[in-house]
Parts: sequence; C-alpha cells; structure tokens
Amino acid sequence: MFLRLVADSVTRRPRQKLLTTAALSLGMAVATAALSVSLDVGNRLAREFRSLGANLLVTPQADSLPLEIGGVDYRPVNAGAYLPEADLPKLKTIFWRNNIVGFAPILEVTVQAWSPASRSWSSPGIVNDVSLIGTWSEHNVSLPDGGGFVTGVQKTNPWWGIAGKWFVENSNNCVVGAALARKNGVKAGDELNVSGGHHTHWIKLRVTGILSSGGSEENAVIAPLSIAQTLSGKPGQYRQLYVSALTKPEDDFGRRDPKTMAPDELERWSCSPYVSSIAYSIKQVLPGADVRVIRRVAEGEGRILTRVRMLLWLVTCVALLAAALAVGASSAASVIERRTEIGLMKALGAGSGTVGFLLAAEQLLLAFVGGGIGYALGILLARVVGEKIFGAAPEPSLLILVVIIGLAAGVTLLGSALPLRRASRYEPAPILRGE
Amino acid sequence: MPALLTKNRSMFWRIIRRLLESNRGRLFVILLALGAGAAVTAALLNLQVDAKRRLTTEFRALGANIIVAPRGSSDLPDSPKVIGQSLFDQLPAENDGNPVTRAEFLYGIVDAWALDPKQADAKSHKSTKVVVAGFAIAVGDNFTAHGLERISPSTVVEGKNLNFLNAPTCEIGQNLASELQLHPGARLALKYGDKVDVCDVSAVRSFGGPEDNQVFLELPAVQALLKLPGQVSLIQASVPGTPESVGRYIAVLAKAIPDTDVRPIRQFTEAEAKIYDRISGVMTATVAIVLLLTGLCVMAAMTNVAMERRNDVGLMKAIGGASRRVLRLFLVEASLLGLTGGLLGAAAGIALSIGLGKAVFGVAARPRLIVYPVAVALTVIVSIAGAFPLRRLASIRPASIFRGEA
Repeated sequence: MFLRLVADSVTRRPRQKLLTTAALSLGMAVATAALSVSLDVGNRLAREFRSLGANLLVTPQADSLPLEIGGVDYRPVNAGAYLPEADLPKLKTIFWRNNIVGFAPILEVTVQAWSPASRSWSSPGIVNDVSLIGTWSEHNVSLPDGGGFVTGVQKTNPWWGIAGKWFVENSNNCVVGAALARKNGVKAGDELNVSGGHHTHWIKLRVTGILSSGGSEENAVIAPLSIAQTLSGKPGQYRQLYVSALTKPEDDFGRRDPKTMAPDELERWSCSPYVSSIAYSIKQVLPGADVRVIRRVAEGEGRILTRVRMLLWLVTCVALLAAALAVGASSAASVIERRTEIGLMKALGAGSGTVGFLLAAEQLLLAFVGGGIGYALGILLARVVGEKIFGAAPEPSLLILVVIIGLAAGVTLLGSALPLRRASRYEPAPILRGE
Repeated sequence: MPALLTKNRSMFWRIIRRLLESNRGRLFVILLALGAGAAVTAALLNLQVDAKRRLTTEFRALGANIIVAPRGSSDLPDSPKVIGQSLFDQLPAENDGNPVTRAEFLYGIVDAWALDPKQADAKSHKSTKVVVAGFAIAVGDNFTAHGLERISPSTVVEGKNLNFLNAPTCEIGQNLASELQLHPGARLALKYGDKVDVCDVSAVRSFGGPEDNQVFLELPAVQALLKLPGQVSLIQASVPGTPESVGRYIAVLAKAIPDTDVRPIRQFTEAEAKIYDRISGVMTATVAIVLLLTGLCVMAAMTNVAMERRNDVGLMKAIGGASRRVLRLFLVEASLLGLTGGLLGAAAGIALSIGLGKAVFGVAARPRLIVYPVAVALTVIVSIAGAFPLRRLASIRPASIFRGEA
C-alpha cells in the first residue's frame, strides 16, 4: 500500500514532480560543477605554478663558495666540485617520483668562440670568455625500471623563449643567447667554433635558435651537456641540477627540521609532498649533493596557492549553500501544495508519522533521481568550465556523486521538514472544507 | 474618471498588500531566497573585484619582478659596471595606488674571515673570497631596514636579536655561513684593498639561489668599502598590479632612464600573467553560476506561489479582472519582493564579503559601492524572471477552478 501510494503520487501528477525534479537537478548540477571544479582546481593550479620553473636546486656538497654576481661566476676556472650524471635516473625512483615534473643538469664552462668564416663573427675573429651552458633540452632519461622520462631545460625553465628550434640531444648543435647573438650578428643556421682552452681542439656547432630568457643566459651559448663535458674535460659530470616538483604548500609542520621529529611525525612529514621533504628524499639518492629549496619560487607559490585554494573553497561553500536554499525552497513548495491530500489522509485515519514518512519517502525518491540527473549535468558543466579555463576537463569523481546524492537527500528532507511539521498539525476538517 | 482611476489605484495597492500579507510564512521563504541570492551575489561580486586586485599584490610574495641594470652589464666580467644611485628616485614609488618595493644593490668581491672574539689581532687568519651585497630597500617612499625578503624571498635559518651594537649588523646566506662556520652573533671581517670592515652577523638566511653565498650589508657601508660612493650595481623592484599595468610601468621607466637596461624578470612576470588569467576565469565562472542559482531559487518559490494563487486568480477573473491587470498585479508584487530582498540581502552580502576577504587574505575586502546597486538590480531582474511561472495563471479558466478541477 505504501509503495502504491508513492508510485501513484508520482504517476498521477507527473507535471509537479517534473518541476520539482528539474529544480533539484539544476541546483545539484551547479553544486556538482562547483565541487568538481574546486576539487580539481587545486591540482591544476599547482601544475600551473610550475610555469615559475624549478623549485629545487642540487649542488655538490664539497663545492667551493661560488662568487656569482648577476649570473656570472667569478671563481677561477676548474675550482669547485662536480656530480655524476649517471646518478640522475635515481631521481625517478624516490617516493615522490610522480611529483617530479622535470629536471635539468647544468655544466657551465668558459669558452672562446669564433665563426669558421671568421668575418661575420666579430673581429679579431675570436670572442673570449663566452660562457657555454651545457644542459639537456629534451633528454630521454632511461629509468631503472625500463621506462623512459623525457625532461630538460624546457621543463624546468618554461619561460625561456626560443626563436628557431632547440638543439637536438647528442648533436653538435647549440642555441645562442639573444644579447650575445645581437652583439655578434649571429643568426639561426650559422656555424660556430668553440674551444675550451687553446685553439688546438675545437668543436664546430650549428646554431639552431636564439634564446631569450630575460636573464644572464642571454649572454651565453647553450649546448648539449655532452659538449660542455668534453670542453671542460669532465665527462659524465655536471655542476648544478634544477628540479621542478609539484609540492604541497608548507605549513608550520612542514617547516620543522626533520632531525627533531619523533618517528611517527617523521613518517607523516615524509609522506606529505612538502618541498623540503622532497628535497630530503632527493638528497638520499644523490650522494655528495646538497639539495636546496629555491625559496623565491617555493615560498611565493606556497603562499599564493594557499590563498587561492581557500578562496575557491569558500566560494564553493557559498555556491553549495545557494544550491541548498534553492532545492529546499522547491521541495517546501511541493509539500505545501499537497495540503488537501494530507488532510484527506489524516481524515482517513493516518497518523502524522505515517503521513510524514510517506512524504519523506517521496522526497527522497525525487532527491535520488534529481541528484543523479544533476550530477550528470554538473559534470558536463564542469567540463565546459574546466576546458575553458584550464584547457583540460576535471575527472568525474565518485566521491562527488556520493556527496551530491547525500546533499540532495539532506536538503530536500530539511526543506520539506518545516512544511511537513505544519501539515501534521493541520486539522483535517477545515482543509477538506477548503478553508 | 479621475476618481475611478484613484480608486482603482488604491484598490490595486490594497490587493498587493493583501497578497503579501496573506501567507507570512511563504513571504518569509521568498524573501529569504531572494535575500540569500542577493547576499551571495553581492558578496561574490565584491570579493571578485577585490580578489583580483588583492591577488596581484599577493604575487609580490614572489619578490622582485623588474630589474634595472647598467646597459650590457655582463660584457666585461672583470670590472662590474655600476649606475648612479640617483636613478633610484626615478622609479615611481606607486603603481595603481599600491606601493612599489624598490631595492638598490651594490656587489663586490672581498676577502672575508670570521673574527675570533678572543683573538684581537686580525693577522693570523685564513680568508675566503665572498660576494658582498650592499642594499637599501624602500617600500613606497619609506626606507626600511627589514625589507630584504620582499625583494628576495627567503627564510631565516638562524637569527638573533643583537641588542648592544658596536659594529654594523649584516645578514649572511646559508652556504657562506656553513663555509665560514658562522652563526648569528659572530663577527665577520671584510677586506677590500687595504680597507677592512667588520660586522656582526644578525641572521643566516636560506634563499636557494646565488644569494646563499653572499653577505648583506647596508648600502653606505659597502659603498665606502668598495670606494664607489653614490654607485649601485643594479636596482630591483617588486611592482604590484595586473600584468598590463606592470608592462606600462616598465615602458614608462624605460623611457625615463634611457641609458639603462630596464627589463621584467620573465620567469615571474610570465608565470604571474598566466596564473592571474586562470584565477580570474575561475572567479568569473563562479559568479555566473551563483547568479543562475539565485534565479532557480526564486523560480522554485514562485512556482509554489502560482500553485496557491489559482483560486484567487479564478475569482478575480470571474468578477471581471482582465488577464493583463492580474498579471500586472503579480509583476508589481514580484518587483517589490525583489527590491526588498535585494536591498536587505546585498547589504548583508557586502558585510559577508568583508568577512570572507579577511578569512582569505587576512585583510578585510574593501566594500565597493558600485556592487550594491548592481546586486539589487540583478535581484529585481532575477525576481521578475523568476515570476515566470505566474504567467501560467493568465490562462486559467475561472469555471474549471471553481468546479475544483486541478
């Protein structure tokens, strides 16, 4: 009988039910969209912040004190220590390997450069003290587990703009900084001889592009790492490593020194992708290296990300509240309009509890249907919004479906509770008389 | 005729009053829905205007985004070029009403060693070459002693309040500290040519860049040490504002001081522009979504009203009320409700946004007066649009209503 009453009420007045369901599903669609965008947006933004470039810097522990002013190192040649390139695949074996977006080793060497034609390159034909930066452009690192990982300076320094093309790995190609190129009239396609010490041994490089970076690299020649290693006589070694990692903004806990932590705290610390805990685990796989957090990038990123996430959550909460109000109001409306029916049921001897139970069951049915439709609509809406803003749609998540159905049920019940309570106090007689 | 018209009008308002008073519970629900919608709209609009502005200020956590250097500064590495300190004053101290943090730096390479407090004579020492950086920082127009992290974000690894000073204080980078085994409170000697300066280390900082190898001192002390009075190596500035406004600042500055190299630090300016676009896109989308919701909210409430009013409308039509007049009645009612809900709600919303702004950015959002009328107008429009279900009342046939047909 109970089920029949519920089924009857749905089939007999399809229009009213449709209206309530429509309001419900629209409200829930908005809630779904808001939730999935803001669940997703945190990760998306964190990735967006990687356009700031590397946030970790690896240097040899035993290095002498660099004398660097404005990107130029004033140390005597060959002072300082180096790190082995062969260790680098280990970076993708650490606990946080999936958070490491990219890395690029750097080996800088001071060279003399001249053009083979020796006329277009400025007179007397040789430019002394040009810094040549050896690095990876798009290097395929073969990992211990057999896979590969393509990384390089394009990932760690995404703001570097290139007119022309990047050099290809393992070739005698190079890229020339914009300032250097302008001064010496070098353009893409030219050839360039570089020599590490004396002119007895030189390498001929083909210029594939002109680099503009807004920094000191504009006065340098960028070439594959292997070339810098040959020129400096340090095969298989590098000087600096830039690592770009996805991190969680540091809070007070994240800033603590791991040495002072209790074992369970240490576990919690190393299981959160704080920039310092990633630095810690990199240090463990690269012996003899010092891993430093590039504070400028990490701190700024952390602070802005925290703010933006909070802002988005608050806004989502407000949107959810508004959705709840809309749905609550419409379900209240659907109960109010059924006063006569309630009166009749009570006149026939139904208790307030039975009536309430019946109506609640109906509302719940609507909530499930409306919530389900709303979820589907909301995912579509989130796709549109996500693609418009981030160029990628958020993944539909089951968690959101559960939350939405729960919210729909809760809100419809709450919305109908107030009119229901009033309805249960109705005297059947005046209602049936139409008063 | 005029008497009839006056009578008509007073009747009209009387009906409106009765309509509003007839069901106080429902009136409350509709006003609540409208008010809540208006509040949310006003809060988000206000927050959006404010958040965008605030975000550009927040980006300054990334430090300097503009650099002014002597033209071709790294041509001849042996003799670092310098520019006149007077250029510093040519950098505008404000951009879009927000203060610009400006810093001037003078770099030099000196011999440094840690002074042992017990050994007074400075003869038996092993010195290391280090980069010394003299700096002066101004926020807006005011010079400040503790502004280094505004230009070069960093964390203090170790710090100490030095109460009694008989030497100037300096801050040193983490690398340098471990190389020379210096801790806050230690005394550092710096030698350039035949001139020796001492300073007390007040803090050890971690930057994660070349600054980790430097000693930071006050500018005049370094100028005296390096014998370069009135000269600086470069000027950095942290300019708040949208990407376009920072671009304008650079253009104006480059024109004002033509013989230097004024350039954005592209690593930060480009990333800022990108992130700013994304976030303001999210905010705009949210405001649009919430407006849509408010409309739904009201529409649901009005559907309810339409259901209840069938008998009233039937009666009005039966005694000769034209459909248009009946509709006008409801339209006026909807606008009145929208206006009241909007006025109350928008005020609450602006108060809400002040609280939200405080929660997110730590500073209360500045209320924008323009938001208030916009939110009220939007609410009235939404309320009239939401009264759309009432149109169905026009097609009611009185007879069928009175027969009790649904």
